Amino acid sequence: MKAAIRHLKRNRGRTILTLLAVLIPVYFLVFMFGFSNSIVSDMFETATRIDTGHFQVRHIERRGMGSAIPLMQDSESVLAALDEIDGVEWRTVRLDMPALASAADRSQTIYIQGVVPEEIAPISSIGDLVVEGTYLRNGQNGAVIGEELADLLNVGVGDEMALLCAHPETGLGVLKVPVVGIYQAPISAMGRTIIHTTLTTARQLARSPAATAVVVRVDDVEGPWDVGKIEAVTAQLTGSLPDELEVLDWRELAPQVSGYMRILQPAMIIFAAVFFGLGALVVLNTLYLSVMERTRELGLIISLGASRWRVIRMILTEAGLIAVIGAVYGALIGVALVWIVEAFGGIPLPGADLADYMKVVGMSPVLHMMISWPQVVVSAVTMVGVAILAAWFPAYRASKLEPVEAMRYVE
Amino acid sequence: MSNNALIQTIDLHKTYKTEAIETPALNGVDFTLHEREFTAVAGPSGSGKSTLLHLLGGLDRPTSGEIFLNGAAMSSLSKDQLSRLRLTRIGFVFQAYNLIPVLTVLENTAFVMELQGVVRRERIRRARAILTELGIEQYADQFPNRISGGEQQRVAVARAVVTEPSIVLADEPTANLDSKTSHELIGLMRRLNEDKGATFLFATHDRRLHDQVSRLLTLEDGRITQDQCR
Ligand SMILES: Nc1ncnc2c1ncn2[C@@H]1O[C@H](COP(=O)(O)OP(=O)(O)OP(=O)(O)O)[C@@H](O)[C@H]1O
Ligand SMILES: [Mg+2]
Repeated sequence: MKAAIRHLKRNRGRTILTLLAVLIPVYFLVFMFGFSNSIVSDMFETATRIDTGHFQVRHIERRGMGSAIPLMQDSESVLAALDEIDGVEWRTVRLDMPALASAADRSQTIYIQGVVPEEIAPISSIGDLVVEGTYLRNGQNGAVIGEELADLLNVGVGDEMALLCAHPETGLGVLKVPVVGIYQAPISAMGRTIIHTTLTTARQLARSPAATAVVVRVDDVEGPWDVGKIEAVTAQLTGSLPDELEVLDWRELAPQVSGYMRILQPAMIIFAAVFFGLGALVVLNTLYLSVMERTRELGLIISLGASRWRVIRMILTEAGLIAVIGAVYGALIGVALVWIVEAFGGIPLPGADLADYMKVVGMSPVLHMMISWPQVVVSAVTMVGVAILAAWFPAYRASKLEPVEAMRYVE
Repeated sequence: MSNNALIQTIDLHKTYKTEAIETPALNGVDFTLHEREFTAVAGPSGSGKSTLLHLLGGLDRPTSGEIFLNGAAMSSLSKDQLSRLRLTRIGFVFQAYNLIPVLTVLENTAFVMELQGVVRRERIRRARAILTELGIEQYADQFPNRISGGEQQRVAVARAVVTEPSIVLADEPTANLDSKTSHELIGLMRRLNEDKGATFLFATHDRRLHDQVSRLLTLEDGRITQDQCR
């Protein structure tokens, strides 16, 4: 060990190179993961807060996601069952239905979420995003719409819109509602389509006392990777549900988020593999050079009777030492940079166009970063493992040296 | 001289093959070494002295013939067993670059004991003792590049004898030293031979050192041509 440290000190230049070969991939990955974590959890938060919740209870025959027919007759008992379960942060009844909104000569297909305002407001859903007017109050006849829709229909707060809902069983529902508030959507498609009315208004329009779903959020879910907590709650619930109801989690309800994660994950893994691979190559190379340079010394050690395993261990110790130091520093630098970026409030995206584009996919125009400790640890540990693996080749070559030849070796 | 045969060689041949060329280095070497002997192998350059020492030390294998160490045939040993044998039974002093540059004199002296698995306290104690005995304890914490060639060779001798091997093999240990220092080094080995009963076999072509040995083997063209006891 002491000898390993002195060997590393003897050739500082190469040691630093090796150190960097380990440090840079770890630091870079931690930093990159910082971005991707934040992007994914942004999308996740947006989708689960405003639209899907962490999971929903729905009727089995929901006749497609766009169906106008609310089928859940007895939402009260589901709410009661949820209130008995630990870990439920929040739950509410919702009636979702597609509709047509029109004002004057303009109209637009929209998606109505009929909500219970007093239940939905505390979890800062669309209520927090209202930039003009106010959010709904209980029992109020009105609608909160997105900026995009307000532009399309050319309506403002106080103006009336007509909502039309084609109901396959009960016929056409028509209702006039005033715009009471306008919200700024995190995703432009959402601002164009999703409007909030009270559950009462939505039921009137649908001409049905039923609901579409009970939407649930679970306590302390950190991000899309944190599925365990959600599953713990759904597991408690499924037993007590009547046969015609089922649980759907956000992965089924917001396939765009899980789809994005499915694309991002292999991309990051490939990215990581390339970086680890490059790091490993440098480690292999520098260590191999170092073994070549020490041929005579290694020959001496083998002559004196060091076993092959002993020689291998010697080289691996050096590699391991450097790898651990490099990985720890890499991780620290990565984490420190993420914190610094966050301390300055994230990285604002240059140019309005890009920011608009980000809004289309539901990401904030300021890039934030987020540390996931398991990822940091896994990155660092993997790099150490890969470096030691890469060190096997030079170590093996060292152990295979013929003592007499090695000692005659002249640099 | 005791009659215990430590090493016995039988018709030892070694031919180096490099591509098309075959170089015969040893052409039938037969001799017996006894415990507590202090033997020099003399002979002109290229006569096969180093080759012989390498074979006796288990660093290389003969092309044909057999070496018995304490009655056991070395040809039957695997590579790992030979390595183990070098570690436990043979002490080596080479012509140069004997010491590991990143270890201090004390650590170098204790290095073989470390490989043997001797506990730290014990190997430090023994290393210090031998350095003191050889009059070089003041260099214990120096790195090899800070001491003279003669001192480095003394450290190598210290390392070779501290584990009390069956035999110390030294291949031209004085080749890089001036004649006074050479004389002192061989004197030192002789003292260890007499005081501790360590068996030495060393190669040299320095005739002035031949007076100091108890037995002189002369090698010419891969054969022993003279075997003088004194
Ligand atoms: N690895 C090798 N490959 C090929 N030939 C070798 C090798 N080692 C030694 N030889 C040859 O074998 C013969 C004996 O060499 P050796 O080194 O044993 O002689 P030596 O008596 O030690 O000489 P010196 O006094 O120069 O050290 C020489 O002709 C030498 O060239
Ligand atoms: Mg020689």
